[in-house]
Amino acid sequence: MIVPRAENKTIIWQNSCLREPYIIINFSLGLVILLVMAYSLIFSPDKDSYPVVCIHEKITGEPCVSCGLSHSFSLILRGRINEAFEWNRYGMRVFLFFSSQLLLRIVFSFFYISYPLTRKQLIIYDATGSSVIFLLTFMPFLIWIFRFS
Amino acid sequence: MNINIKKKNMEEANKNSGQNLGIAALITAIITFVLAVIPCVGMIAIIPGIISIVLASIGLSQAQRNESPRGVVMAGLIIGVVATMISFSQYFVTGKLAKNIEKGKWTEKIQEVVDDVEDNVIRDLEDANVSIRIDDGEDKVEINVVSGDSDREKILEELEKVNEQVNDSTPGGK
Repeated sequence: MIVPRAENKTIIWQNSCLREPYIIINFSLGLVILLVMAYSLIFSPDKDSYPVVCIHEKITGEPCVSCGLSHSFSLILRGRINEAFEWNRYGMRVFLFFSSQLLLRIVFSFFYISYPLTRKQLIIYDATGSSVIFLLTFMPFLIWIFRFS
Repeated sequence: MNINIKKKNMEEANKNSGQNLGIAALITAIITFVLAVIPCVGMIAIIPGIISIVLASIGLSQAQRNESPRGVVMAGLIIGVVATMISFSQYFVTGKLAKNIEKGKWTEKIQEVVDDVEDNVIRDLEDANVSIRIDDGEDKVEINVVSGDSDREKILEELEKVNEQVNDSTPGGK
């Protein structure tokens, strides 16, 4: 089968785009977020069989600020928002962070491939925006860590 | 001709190896960063943190050797170092918490809170009207207990009045 020249060029260009570090990073992070969501879906909040245990609670006997986050995630994915708030009041915030990041990875990857001239600006906007969202989301956890250390 | 193509491929492979390590380091570093700020799993994040630093260091040395771009590698290294530091700080947090518990600072505070709650519950119960109703279809039993402070005051006032009347009616008074 003979591929027309213009089509061939497009395929090569798209392949080279997919090998770009930014696209690979976006793809990997998206995959990690999806894995986090799958983890929350697989384990049932009613059975309480989560493999991750709080090390702080194990050592000190005191629950930390992020205790109940897995429970909260599982409950949010099942639509039980009120219960999720009871397990961890920051659960919804962290869940929204992950969801927004998944969406941003897809949107930014699309723009990166579609508009090659604005790639540098796009990366700067992405890095700045994501850092701000990250800080806003995890601020209570950071405050908790630095209050004790 | 063939040798030239092979040389070019080798150079590209060398350049890519540094870049690939940089990408791997950056992804590991970002995941480490997110894990490091969650107190429950923050201490474990030191392992991927060290891995990201190692990957970034190797990537950086390769990038320097081949004079390829270092932006991604540097980003991976910086984020990896910061994330590892945050993760490391969690050990101090746990140590401090454990020390406080050992000293009994928190156990005293917890006891104070428990005492406060106990007092509040007793105070609330003093003012409460307790009503128990048992109904099995045929028989009905209803018990009402009023143990409010206001009732006690009334009882005390009544007792005082009775006492005054008794005192007034005692003989021998001038």
